[in-house]
Amino acid sequence: MLVEHIVVKEVTKRFPGTLALDKVSFTVYRGEIHALLGENGAGKSTLVKILYGIYTPDEGEVYINGKKLVITSPRDAVAHGIVLVSQTPTLINDLTIVENIILSLRHYNLFTRTRRVYSEVYSVLESLGLGIDPNTEVYKLTYTQKQMIEIARALLLKAKVLLLDEATSYLPLTEKKKLFDFLKKYVKKGNSVILITHKLPEALEISDRITVLRKGKVVGTVEKKKADITVIRRMMFGDTEFAPEAIKQRESIGNGVTLFIENLWVKGELGEYMVRNVTLSVRKGEILGIAGITGSGQIELFEAIMGLRKVERGIIKIDGVDTTNKDTGFIRSLGVGYIPDNPLEHGLSIDHTLAENIALCPKYSSFIIDWHAIRQDADRLVREYGIVTPSINTPIKLLSGGNLMKMLISRELEYATKLLVAYNPTRGLDEYTANKVRRNIKEKKAKEGLSVIFASEDLDEIFELSDTIAVMNSGRIVGVFDKYRATRDRVEELMVM
Amino acid sequence: MYIVQVLSTTAPLMLAYYLASLGHSIVEKSGVLNLAIDGVFVLSVAVAFAQAIYTWNNPLIPVVISVASSIAVGLILVYTTSKLPVSHGAIGLSLMFLCYGLSGVIGVPARTQQGLTGQEVGYPISPVSSVWVLLYIVVVGLGFLLHYILERTKLGAMIKASGEDPLVAEALGVDVLKTRILAGVLGFALIGLGASAFELLYTRIWREGTGIGHGWIAFAVSLSSGRHPLLGIITAFLFALLYEYRFSILAVGLPREMADALPYITAITAMVIYMATPLKTKLKTPKSLGKPFFKEERTI
Amino acid sequence: MASISLVVVKRVKPLPSWVAPLLSFTLGIAVATVLLWIVTLGRTDPIVVLASIGRALAMPQLLLKNFALLTIVGIGLLVSFKASVFNIGGEGQFYFAIIAATWIALFSGVGAIAIINKVLMLVVGVLLAGFWALIAALPRGFLGIDEVPVTLLMNYIAYYIVDYLVFNPWREPKYKYPRTPTIPEESWFIRIPGTTGTIELILLTVVVMAGIWYLMNNTRLGLAINVMGSNPNVLRVVGINPSLIVVSSLVISGMIVGIAGVSYLAGEAHLITIPAEACTPMLGYTGILVAWLSMLRIAYVPVAAYIVSALINAGINIQIAGAGKASVVDVFIGTILLIYSISVIFTEYSVKIIVKR
Repeated sequence: MLVEHIVVKEVTKRFPGTLALDKVSFTVYRGEIHALLGENGAGKSTLVKILYGIYTPDEGEVYINGKKLVITSPRDAVAHGIVLVSQTPTLINDLTIVENIILSLRHYNLFTRTRRVYSEVYSVLESLGLGIDPNTEVYKLTYTQKQMIEIARALLLKAKVLLLDEATSYLPLTEKKKLFDFLKKYVKKGNSVILITHKLPEALEISDRITVLRKGKVVGTVEKKKADITVIRRMMFGDTEFAPEAIKQRESIGNGVTLFIENLWVKGELGEYMVRNVTLSVRKGEILGIAGITGSGQIELFEAIMGLRKVERGIIKIDGVDTTNKDTGFIRSLGVGYIPDNPLEHGLSIDHTLAENIALCPKYSSFIIDWHAIRQDADRLVREYGIVTPSINTPIKLLSGGNLMKMLISRELEYATKLLVAYNPTRGLDEYTANKVRRNIKEKKAKEGLSVIFASEDLDEIFELSDTIAVMNSGRIVGVFDKYRATRDRVEELMVM
Repeated sequence: MYIVQVLSTTAPLMLAYYLASLGHSIVEKSGVLNLAIDGVFVLSVAVAFAQAIYTWNNPLIPVVISVASSIAVGLILVYTTSKLPVSHGAIGLSLMFLCYGLSGVIGVPARTQQGLTGQEVGYPISPVSSVWVLLYIVVVGLGFLLHYILERTKLGAMIKASGEDPLVAEALGVDVLKTRILAGVLGFALIGLGASAFELLYTRIWREGTGIGHGWIAFAVSLSSGRHPLLGIITAFLFALLYEYRFSILAVGLPREMADALPYITAITAMVIYMATPLKTKLKTPKSLGKPFFKEERTI
Repeated sequence: MASISLVVVKRVKPLPSWVAPLLSFTLGIAVATVLLWIVTLGRTDPIVVLASIGRALAMPQLLLKNFALLTIVGIGLLVSFKASVFNIGGEGQFYFAIIAATWIALFSGVGAIAIINKVLMLVVGVLLAGFWALIAALPRGFLGIDEVPVTLLMNYIAYYIVDYLVFNPWREPKYKYPRTPTIPEESWFIRIPGTTGTIELILLTVVVMAGIWYLMNNTRLGLAINVMGSNPNVLRVVGINPSLIVVSSLVISGMIVGIAGVSYLAGEAHLITIPAEACTPMLGYTGILVAWLSMLRIAYVPVAAYIVSALINAGINIQIAGAGKASVVDVFIGTILLIYSISVIFTEYSVKIIVKR
């Protein structure tokens, strides 16, 4: 007998410029693990954040146990037994586990001794298979243990509904298995779990039903028994028409190796390995595209190449020069251009003008800035890339997102003589400019032998631009294909395995 | 006995430094950078003095009003820095100037009156009676009490959470503004008490500028001890001893100025050591100390 | 139950940048005047206070010295503030320059040699001030230790070093007063008749303003210092080491403050009196006010310096029930700075009052 636990009815949520959720409806039954699948930006996180009271919907309703509710804050959500656990642990590192947990328990007063919750915490941790002393400081824990603490807290808060927003993404396999076993027991008691994940096999293994979202809409809900990888993959990515490019450009690839990476291990922000034993090489005049779900380690890989993130193990060589853990200034001086993942935070200083942002790069100016020369460079970039700006002396925060991106790309593409490292190089650009940027990259590769390594969330772009396609999943390179041998189905499959 | 002599003469100044540094530590543990301390200390000293003159050395009223003025200034600091995206340093230094100024304006007329009446203020701590022992008991008792609150209670966890990572603390259910106000009231009350002890038990005289620099020594006590209530007892005693006997160290061949500068040198060295060695786990600066904290409210 | 809460939201369009300084000057003077009136139980006449400030503002010849010194210190501090490095150690850097210049003038043997003496006083003074700043800059740049407490505490260490030197080896031998002998007259800056200023000081002020303007606007170092203040990540990505920029900005800042220190010694004091912590002209602190009120724009530093020096002079003239002039000046400075520190955020944010039921 299925009892409706959570019903979401026709929920719509708009953010400036985007429609994050478009009349989304779905039902979670009591005692089920319900997986939410979808590409980045499909609206999964927005949906759980609405259930957790971080956002309130513009339209639509949420029912819990048949009662219509308006959840306006996480406090509200917790009071209704809904607790969210996300990918990043929400814990204070310098406090102990009990201290962290008592902060959330509202029924204790200011002078309650932290020891009072000790045994309670201990037994919950034990039930999760975690034999840690609750008086341990959180910074001593591994990422996995921190995630378990989050779940322990949810249980201490008497959660009836657990929202796991990619909380399992970075967990090692054995831990994941343990957690899944626990979740299965947990839902048997009449609780429910909503699990957001990118990983198809994971969803198929653990969940009872799967709902797929695409671009803010529900594509459909499938019973696990009837689900099949191919069907769900189609639901996630849609049936995109894909026409391979007519002109072959293979001949422009030289023999020399520009970028050489061997057995690379790099840690991410959370202290877990995000790049695992990656070996790659990019030849002179070759464009290597990395396909993968966001967060598969692309950012960390690129930051390691640029000297912005510590390499734990392995070697990086650029044009034969060992650049492993070298200073970014040195790596750049070899002729390496870089388009980072978050251009506004890492690429450009938005309080400064276009001319100043150009002058900041060593190549464009010496110690004393020749503003005349910079202005000429700036004017040329503005013309060539069609950057719309009142003047080159306008603070760039007044420019639109697309124009900021053009500005960054033009500067970096000009800068790169050997290698361009680019994360989502055409994000935020209109189709016309995006094509133009791709053309410019190809031109520079053909004429000057520029090598390019780039990652993109857009598979079409990967197929259009790359000579070689590598698929990255959970920090590993799981497949490398010559562009003409790669099939879209195979790449998508490797991305979500 | 010589030791009794040393302990008893050091007691009042130690009490003053310890109370002020303990208050300072609590304020900073909650994440509010307190550059107003020297100003607040000097103001509370002047208020204690002026009230003692006006109340004919009443034992209670000067302390109460001194503590109240310290809390009032402290609340301006804590509220603005926790509610608005302002610079902690700027507010703290502004308040320091303001308090320096007010202390003169408040103290000088009282001093003039003292010149006319000859009214004496304060209570000397004599080594003969054993009242000085009581001061040590107060210090140690408060040290353990505050250590207990910070390390063993939910309030302590809330204060530390607000200083380490106020955004996460909010997400966990802590009301950071309320916590900091609580810590601010408690902390500035202790600073005001310290200043009262300084004026009424230690100097027992006042002229313009009395107390300037001693607030910074309390600041240095707090930094040197990594804001730890129990370690602070030792540093407060050492710095008080050093100040009290700064002329005596000439005998050892060291310049008096060395003794004057030592608290500051120790504080800076300690900050570097706590940041760069394994001691950082317990004694380092709270991660979000002095960082603007405010939530841009979501428009729902 | 209804509750009222204040909500801070970002403005869509920022207010003009002159609003906050103007508001804080006018409101600050008003509030401080009222505050004085209240605290002295009505014994200060607000009219007298305001008239005194007005008179001071109208007498530039008497303000010249403080105006120029504050402009130099303000510009110096601005260099570090631009990089979001808060040099509160102006006092220490000021005194370290004085130590060096005093040594040159009194003990190096060149004290009486025209031109060379002044040049050497400046050069060595600036270098020593820069060195003092470097001590705080290195842990800030490479260990991330907050520069605010470090530079602040170092002021006191500097005072005591001065006290030691002047009390012992450098003490004036004749009467054993707690001060150094007067530096040779050849090393004095040349007084401009009818004013409080000196020719060299005015020249130095112009040179400092022009030099720092050039540094900040026409060099990559200046640009990097600017960018450091708004987004250090960009520096890393572009390949510039942010630690080096932090260190440079703090050291340059200290060196410029050092120029003011030398000028103060050679143009005004001509000797060091101790205890330094009580005899200091406090320019390292008041300079903070000047730098902040200029909104970190070089062109506005002299404007802020002019008003602040007028307040200092006005304070000297206001006698309140015998309270020292420093106290009155401090009340004004503190109030203006406090109102500015709070009101400046309303350029970018606004406060809404929300009543919840």
